[in-house]
Amino acid sequence: MYTPPLARLIEQLQRLPGIGPKSAQRLALYLLSRPREEVTALAHAILDCKEQVGHCQVCGYLSVDPICEICRNPDRDDSTICVVCDSRDVIALEKTREYWGKYHVLGGVISPMQGIGPDQLNIPTLVQRVVKGGVKEVILAINPTVEGETTTFYVGKLLKEFTKVTRIAFGIPIGGDLEYADEMTLIKAIEGRQELQ
Amino acid sequence: MFLHQLQLYNFRNYREQMVLFDQPKTIVVGANAQGKSNLLEAIQLLAVLQSFRVQRDRDLVQWGQRQGEIHGKCQRRYSTVDLCLRLFPHQRRTMLVNGVVVKTKDEFLGNLNAVLFSALDLELVRGSPEYRRDWLDRVLVQLEPLYIRLQQSYQRVLQQRNALLKGIKQGKMRYDPAQMELWNQQLVTIGSKVMFRRRRLIDRLSPLAQAWHRRISATETLTLSYLTRFPCGDDINAIQTAFYDHLQKRAIAEQQQGSSLVGPHRDDVQLQINSQPAKEYASQGQQRTLVLALKLAELELLQTVSGEPPLLLLDDVLAELDLSRQQALLSAVQPTAQTIITTTHLHNFADRWLHSAQILTVKDGEIQLNC
Repeated sequence: MYTPPLARLIEQLQRLPGIGPKSAQRLALYLLSRPREEVTALAHAILDCKEQVGHCQVCGYLSVDPICEICRNPDRDDSTICVVCDSRDVIALEKTREYWGKYHVLGGVISPMQGIGPDQLNIPTLVQRVVKGGVKEVILAINPTVEGETTTFYVGKLLKEFTKVTRIAFGIPIGGDLEYADEMTLIKAIEGRQELQ
Repeated sequence: MFLHQLQLYNFRNYREQMVLFDQPKTIVVGANAQGKSNLLEAIQLLAVLQSFRVQRDRDLVQWGQRQGEIHGKCQRRYSTVDLCLRLFPHQRRTMLVNGVVVKTKDEFLGNLNAVLFSALDLELVRGSPEYRRDWLDRVLVQLEPLYIRLQQSYQRVLQQRNALLKGIKQGKMRYDPAQMELWNQQLVTIGSKVMFRRRRLIDRLSPLAQAWHRRISATETLTLSYLTRFPCGDDINAIQTAFYDHLQKRAIAEQQQGSSLVGPHRDDVQLQINSQPAKEYASQGQQRTLVLALKLAELELLQTVSGEPPLLLLDDVLAELDLSRQQALLSAVQPTAQTIITTTHLHNFADRWLHSAQILTVKDGEIQLNC
């Protein structure tokens, strides 16, 4: 049905997350209709990104340089480290503009089913950062799934003897409605209740 | 509660079918392999989100179709609920309550309660422990829909822990005591909650089943007990402590076998008649009486808890019961409670069942009203 190069492009696009056969076809035909420069720019952007972006040697966040901008920033608080599972979580937290500490990206969660143990995660560098001293608090911000909980406890246990370890709270979303919160979240929210200041 | 409308699209051997139920009792008549059980299976899926026959959704969607659907309208005492389950051969199912997609199973469960009694239920007595555990779980998700979350979390922890034990046994993963300890703690924390709830269910079902059993058999005494792999007390803390201790004792055996040997996934329900294990000693007739007593207890408990009689689905079993057992069943079912019965022949029924019943005929995936 498609001429071979077009078929190849559609097949490649279809591998992207959230892209089905119809979207892949639409994107491919759109790309085909664009001027050569625009398509070249896209192709280069993809390649450059793949070739240049690596992980920060300190925190594991995505970075062009050996040490990322967040780790290099002297205005940020060195004594607080927020531990997350994925670079996407850093982006989400950065959008809040409320957190001024540093990060540590584990690169996944403990999941024996996928062959991921603590050894496959970016944990040793985290321990080194904490052992070196100067860290007053480690905030664990890992998703509360079965695997996320195991990872939280694992990392927490390792670091507890060196510094204060906290974890983020779970509960009702701001602007949300109690009535619509699911019951499991409500139970967690009641467990994590706080005295009114 | 009353299911007054059921629509099936590409479900099993039904291409497009609408059934209207207008009497408390419906008898579905048809030869074998025409779609009688499929109809009850569809209703049970709306009640417990699980088929009593197969595990995979791809077996439920009509062969070669991309999507199947079960759509039921149910009248509750104070409201109507519209339940829709969309099934796909290679994709996760979609659940809708009153036209709105719900993300978690516990939001869907509890809207329609049903007790299904089929020939497969004899396995409750003679089958492996798995049948009895599945039975408890099916009752629990209807009684307390949040239980499904516990069950899912437990399955997940178990799978992860098994993967770890297997990986260590095969030399693919290193034995890390710290990691193992965390999986142990999660297994114990979640597993104890599962055990606690199952045991509480047995405590509630036991007197009801005993009373029904006595009414049918007159002389025999039935006892139900939840069997764990280790002795433990009744409250959740006692279960946790005993579970954890036993896990430590079995640690070496677990590493040798490469799988989890302790926990609710290995528990059982013991059924005894006059203090003798029913599995070994009960005759065919005694087994039938026992299963009937369990089902009636289930029916009664669901009714007490939800305040409304659940649907009773009898898949080809009524005609096999003798008249005294049919009478016991009849006396347990309120005249207004909805009962859907499948059978190959209309004779063998006590007259009271046929009285004012709606009779439907099934032939090759099509249902017709008998006038």
